[in-house]
Amino acid sequence: MTEYEVIIGLETHIQLNTTTKIFCACKADSWEDEPNTNICPVCTGLPGVLPVLNEAAVEKGALLAAAMHSEIRLTSFFDRKNYFYPDLPKGYQISQFDLALGKGGYLDLPMPDGSVRRVNIEKMHLEEDAGKTKYEHGVRYVDFNRCGVPLVEMVTGPDLRSADEAAQYLIRLRQLLRWIGISEANMEKGHLRCDANVSIRTVGSTVLNTKTEIKNVNSIEAVRAAILKEVERQIEVVESGGRVEAWTLDWDDAKGKLTKMRSKETEADYRYFREPDLLPLELTEAWREGVIASLPELPLARRARFRREFDLPEYDADILTSDRPISDYYEAAVSAYGGDPKVVSNWIMNEVLRMQNDLGVSADELVLKPQDLAEAIRLVEAGMINNATAKSLLVKVQESGKSPVRIVEEEGLAQVSDDSALQAAIDKILAANPDEVASYRGGKEGLFGWFMGQVMRETRGKADPKASRELLQKALRGEG
Amino acid sequence: MTLMDQSAFITAQKVKAGERSAVEVLESALERIAVVDGRPGSLDYGELTDEDKAKVHAFITLTADRARQQAEAVDAKVRAGEAVGPLAGVPLSVKDIFTVKGMPSTAASRILATFTAPYTATAVQRLEAAGAINLGKVNLDEFTYGSSSESSAFQPSPRNPWDTSRVPGGSSGGSTASVAAGEALLSLGTDTAGSIRQPAAFCGVVGVKPTYGRVSRYGLIAFGSSLDCPGPVAANVRDAALMLGAMAGADPHDSTAAKVPVPDYLASLEQGVQGMRIGLSPDYMKITFPDAETGELVEQDLPEEIKAATLHAAEVLARLGAEIVEDVPMPHTAYGIPAYFVISRVEAASNLHRYDGVKYGYRTQSDYHDLNEMYRKTRAEGFGLQPKLRILMGMYVSAAQYAEQYYARALRVRSLLRSDFDAAFDPAGAYKLDALLTPTTPTTAFKMADVYGDSVLMQYADQLTVPANHAGIPGLSLPGGIASDGLPIGVQFLAPDFAEETLFRAGQAFETATAAEAWRKIKPEVLR
Repeated sequence: MTEYEVIIGLETHIQLNTTTKIFCACKADSWEDEPNTNICPVCTGLPGVLPVLNEAAVEKGALLAAAMHSEIRLTSFFDRKNYFYPDLPKGYQISQFDLALGKGGYLDLPMPDGSVRRVNIEKMHLEEDAGKTKYEHGVRYVDFNRCGVPLVEMVTGPDLRSADEAAQYLIRLRQLLRWIGISEANMEKGHLRCDANVSIRTVGSTVLNTKTEIKNVNSIEAVRAAILKEVERQIEVVESGGRVEAWTLDWDDAKGKLTKMRSKETEADYRYFREPDLLPLELTEAWREGVIASLPELPLARRARFRREFDLPEYDADILTSDRPISDYYEAAVSAYGGDPKVVSNWIMNEVLRMQNDLGVSADELVLKPQDLAEAIRLVEAGMINNATAKSLLVKVQESGKSPVRIVEEEGLAQVSDDSALQAAIDKILAANPDEVASYRGGKEGLFGWFMGQVMRETRGKADPKASRELLQKALRGEG
Repeated sequence: MTLMDQSAFITAQKVKAGERSAVEVLESALERIAVVDGRPGSLDYGELTDEDKAKVHAFITLTADRARQQAEAVDAKVRAGEAVGPLAGVPLSVKDIFTVKGMPSTAASRILATFTAPYTATAVQRLEAAGAINLGKVNLDEFTYGSSSESSAFQPSPRNPWDTSRVPGGSSGGSTASVAAGEALLSLGTDTAGSIRQPAAFCGVVGVKPTYGRVSRYGLIAFGSSLDCPGPVAANVRDAALMLGAMAGADPHDSTAAKVPVPDYLASLEQGVQGMRIGLSPDYMKITFPDAETGELVEQDLPEEIKAATLHAAEVLARLGAEIVEDVPMPHTAYGIPAYFVISRVEAASNLHRYDGVKYGYRTQSDYHDLNEMYRKTRAEGFGLQPKLRILMGMYVSAAQYAEQYYARALRVRSLLRSDFDAAFDPAGAYKLDALLTPTTPTTAFKMADVYGDSVLMQYADQLTVPANHAGIPGLSLPGGIASDGLPIGVQFLAPDFAEETLFRAGQAFETATAAEAWRKIKPEVLR
């Protein structure tokens, strides 16, 4: 049986999170806004209007280029991509063509086997988004809100080798975009859009066979599923003696089906030419250096450092660099705590992440600060509170904004390790449960746990477990 | 002699001083329009009558009520002792290629006949802010595509006030005709290959194509975006300088509008030409065009009268102390039109994409079954011949397989044309020119319908003006004489980037020195 290798390239459109659109002063983000409410003469292409470039879009685009190890061109150009569609009010899209802002670049993907897959970037340019059309009851409606929203189009080389790798690329790209703060990168909201180019070849071959392009894959799961489906189809075509044709396919996520949109035998001619309404985009060397210098430590670098510096397992390091707020949170907590970084990791992975998920916020939005967490861990280590108390304590800090120490004091949460108080509680429990005492003494030693539970209940969880165990054992043996 | 026979400069002075009211001036303009203009251009024009053929037909849309409100506002300010602008009370006409909020902005095309702009072009807004009284919109070639104004979808098209059987030139023919006939004291035009200077020459008025980027293009319905320049049309050099000063300068809505300070053009106007180096080039004393049969390039000398007017201007300037530098080579002049044909049409085809029947303007009234049919019918019915020709040509020469052969080559020719001027104006070069003096046009105004229909020949009317558009440099055309056919002849000054002051100084010197010459006394036919 022939074995096949899958060749995938991804074309992504990344919506930059600027306040205003790329060529006018309209609000860029129109999520849940009424159609055609964030529009003006410029973004709707009225006669006589001219684009004026939003510098924030250039900065964010350059930051992405720097993060992708692309060269930021000091002189780049905008070009017109000419085509007709109702959602494109000027009849051309202002984009970049041969001399775009970013040149080259790559993203290194860590693979489960410990290797690294380098995905090269073939194209990276700034452009304006088009609007949206929808067809309803025989009428075609156009919404121009999205016209002129700044995008970066980024195209990878044919460097990915499986649906999982494609998904991994998107996961890492999304992480990076949020990390450097240039895009919300929410695929469901269209901040990060993806088309996948897929072809297959027999293992060992180095040719690039005819590829198909899958459009409309709007979640990471959809990318994975659509590619798997398409690879299956291509193998079937080849195995049955056919030839894969250069189709454009549409992915229907609900039905899990690919349908052919069109044959793509000849490339469309967009008649690109320099946009005469914009000057060449000239950047200075100092500006470029400033952008590169402002780049934060990137997730994969930080992940490696966490493993090295804090001796974290790969699993922990990965989760603790999944986004920048949790990563910063962890580092701050480690530094405030001063003890074993793995202990802090355990607390964050168990308690803080759960709290964050329950509340639907990011780590930097928690009331519970890294310093609070460190304080609570120290209270446990000092034997002031037990683990269970500490967990509920963290919730109380989040709810009240008070410090852990203050809550422990105010609510008397410190452990009861005073023998006489514990002894009184134990005596009371034994007196109230003569049958259980008799059973225990008759050999049912498994009841010990039940007695411990009663002690905890009596002391409302504050009993020092070690002291309680010793006193309870004595009492049950009749030594009390 | 009416108020419309006075200069814009004097008019503004008098209005500011309260000696004349803006309303009085406006009424005088409206009276003149009523006498000379005839019916405005419209889509349903029917047969042209003999009376039509004797009128100017500069206007498409006359907005007398809006103008009255503006005039009253200026007068109210004057009465209240408040400051008014340098164009206070000056009647202005605007080429209907600029948007004005609330006014139809048609581009003289059926496809925009119903379009009312929701915003005002920067140049118009600045002129109005300076106190100009906007009379309304004047006619032009459809989307400015022409050199006679005959291709307008709004007929009757403008006629030359000197001889109404002749074209006013174009595409700013409505602008130059309205100023020549004294319907407006100033007009705002656009120049992409000579569209201000050529009709200014034909109509015996002053027309300025400023440096590319000197005046904002925001609100100018684009033709060739890398070539288009809004500019003044006026009866004399001082008025043109006054008008340019009021509208030039950087604009946050146009990133190609230069952030170069705007000098006080009036302050240097009278400084004369003493010591100025003014060049003459043999390459501007002939035209080169393809033979209709063979396609071979044929050279032809300009008519003697045209050459003589330019040489007369050189003599006058020499008497005033200018140094005339002869035989300045401008070797790429002949290629200006072919290169322009390609570049302007690529940009035009793209600029016309937006007129698709989806959002505004004309949409086909007949049935259509899908989007593409709607596009096809809308554009087939909405565009006239010129836009269609330019779309076809523009699409062809920018197609992937031809772009290198045509578009890229035309851009290289454009650089060569620029290098001609760089060499002539280079302060360290062989010629060190302050300005080049040339004829504006190869002929005087031609007969209506004589050239119309021959798109190639029509284009050659711009051969002496288009190099400035390629190079981005400023040019000024002003009257230099009257030919034996009784029609005005224009002479042109060309200067380096942002040297409009030089143009105005040279123009003013020539105008003043020739004030007493006999041809200056001759009036346009419609005013006799």
